Amino acid sequence: MTTSSVVAPPSAVRPPRSSRTGILTGLLLLPASLWYLILLVAPLAIVVVMSFGNATRIGGYEPAFTFANYASALDPSRVTPFVTSLVLAASGTLLCLFAALPIAYFIATRAGPRKSLLIILLVIPFWTSFLIRTYAWLTLLGPDGIAGFIGSAIGDSGFRILGTPVAVLIGVVYGYLPLMVFPIYVTLERMDRTLTEASKDLGAGRWATFRQITLPITLPGLITGSILVFIPLMGEYVIPAILGYGRVFLIGNQLVLQFLEARNWPEGAARAVILILIMLVTVVFYLWFANRGRKSREVSVL
Amino acid sequence: MAEHPIDQTIRRMIQAPLSRRGFLYAGTMSAAAAFLAACSGNGAATGAPSGAGGTAAPSFAIPEGIESELFMYNWGDYVDPGNIELFKSTFGVTKFTYDTFASNDELLTKLQGGAVGQWDVSAPTAEFVPAMREQGFIQKIDFAQIPNAKYIEAPFKGVWWDPTDEWQLPKDWGTTGISVRTKIVKEDVSSWKQFFEVAPTYSGRIVIVDSPGDVFVAPLKALGYSLNTKVESELEEARTMLLDLAPHVLALDSDQYNTKLETEEAVLGLTWTGGILELRDLPETADIEYIIPSDGTLYWLDTWVILADAPHPIASHAFLNFIHDPQIQAIETETNQYATSNSEAKKFIDPEMLADPALFVPDDVLARLEGAEDTSTDPLRLDIWEEFKSKIGQG
Repeated sequence: MTTSSVVAPPSAVRPPRSSRTGILTGLLLLPASLWYLILLVAPLAIVVVMSFGNATRIGGYEPAFTFANYASALDPSRVTPFVTSLVLAASGTLLCLFAALPIAYFIATRAGPRKSLLIILLVIPFWTSFLIRTYAWLTLLGPDGIAGFIGSAIGDSGFRILGTPVAVLIGVVYGYLPLMVFPIYVTLERMDRTLTEASKDLGAGRWATFRQITLPITLPGLITGSILVFIPLMGEYVIPAILGYGRVFLIGNQLVLQFLEARNWPEGAARAVILILIMLVTVVFYLWFANRGRKSREVSVL
Repeated sequence: MAEHPIDQTIRRMIQAPLSRRGFLYAGTMSAAAAFLAACSGNGAATGAPSGAGGTAAPSFAIPEGIESELFMYNWGDYVDPGNIELFKSTFGVTKFTYDTFASNDELLTKLQGGAVGQWDVSAPTAEFVPAMREQGFIQKIDFAQIPNAKYIEAPFKGVWWDPTDEWQLPKDWGTTGISVRTKIVKEDVSSWKQFFEVAPTYSGRIVIVDSPGDVFVAPLKALGYSLNTKVESELEEARTMLLDLAPHVLALDSDQYNTKLETEEAVLGLTWTGGILELRDLPETADIEYIIPSDGTLYWLDTWVILADAPHPIASHAFLNFIHDPQIQAIETETNQYATSNSEAKKFIDPEMLADPALFVPDDVLARLEGAEDTSTDPLRLDIWEEFKSKIGQG
């Protein structure tokens, strides 16, 4: 029996291309191309050009061509935030994954008539400002909230959750959960249930079915979700600044310091470019690793 | 097709009979809510100035052609809300927006990024006025429209940041010092040197304002150097002291340091007076003290400026004149808890506040304080600041 993968049929004889079709194609592609050009390529180019410049005496940017900014950005004493960001982004993504998979699985397979209600419940908090919700966690985790409760339970009045990596991870999982849940939910929803039935008919237990049938089918969703969470998480600044009290110093904090406090835009731009390169390398490697050995490209969100 | 769960819920809600108990419950809840709303509404300040001993409320001449809007870009909570309401009602300014920034650098960055012409009035710290003037971010103030400027005290006139007194109007001045919960911190912390010595004992409970210009004061003064120094060896010594302090710091916070000191999350702080002095009146926090360190510290002055290309120049000048009316300025001092630069306003300020040495620093102490210069773009200081920030709470 065929699996649910889609194999592209061999192309039939193509009709000859007329110039009118060419112009039409060009026009249809124009809005998207303009969008990418103006909102993606141009700002990126500006940042790259700026990274080779100099800061004026009062801050800002003046045109120049120097590698000094890259040299200071790659200085060993400045490398720690990059490492901390990688560690935090990886662990945050993993935690999100472990939290999101059961939720998505439950909604897709077990929720039945309450499916849409649960999806709505997941989405409604995101109609509120992200900043306000992060501030709400300040009260929840603060000395008047959970930290105070745990502190009095274990007898340590100085017990504190805020300002530790734990608080940052809590905030991260809370903030990025829907980004992880929805791709997984989408792939699980479209899964062919007869496959699991067949596997059970053939004698596989529930765990074996999950491991050998469900998980590989969900893999594209897992990959999409992980990338959707990992990339913004690498540049995350607000949650460590508010919930981490700035004690968890990441690339995002470093960039804000350069742009807003030091007013050294070229140096900030150099660090931004390095961040983009690191993420590019990481994501390409991850995609290759996850997709190796798969003969056909499954239909997925990515 | 099976009925959608939400439709089911709605149908059930509509069809449920309304029992007597349900009606009474709903009615009580609505009445309670209305009562609470009415009570809190009455508590809002009307903003009418109450001078000492029942003096008449000040009257204002409304300038001709005044616009109906004013856009302010200021530190957070830096103008009394009652005064804002009074200004709006007296001068017919229906739209008064109050946007905030958290540091002078943020203000400069926004203006450098091209936000000139978006706001009318701002209040940078004095040492940043020359840089703003150089880059064309501010315009000359027409003091003919601000007769109340005659009350500004002499020490704030003709100073290096504005020798001709054309570009700024003084606002509040204050100091940077040590805040301490004496109930918990039993040691004597009356100098910066002692601050650094005591810090490891209270690791994780120290809060510091997020401002490089203020933070550098502590190590440099403890070492006996000028707080504006750019000498490399002196700054490197300061770096060592700061990096020793960094692991013990709870957070760098310019907005909420008073809250952290109130809840005892922090017990020691490098702070300003805002929010601290009023804690002395509360019974749970009466032990809090603000100390001007004996080895010296900086005094700062915030100044009103009118931004270049301000969309509402007449309203801007009217506001600056209004805010320096002595009775209005007295309310400002009592709300913000920073000393005023207006000599006439002192007649309307609570004498207890005037006698408070933490707020109105006596002249002999003031003589030992140093004014700040704009060192915000010095590369070595920025390097030290970045390293300090990245090491907060580590190790």
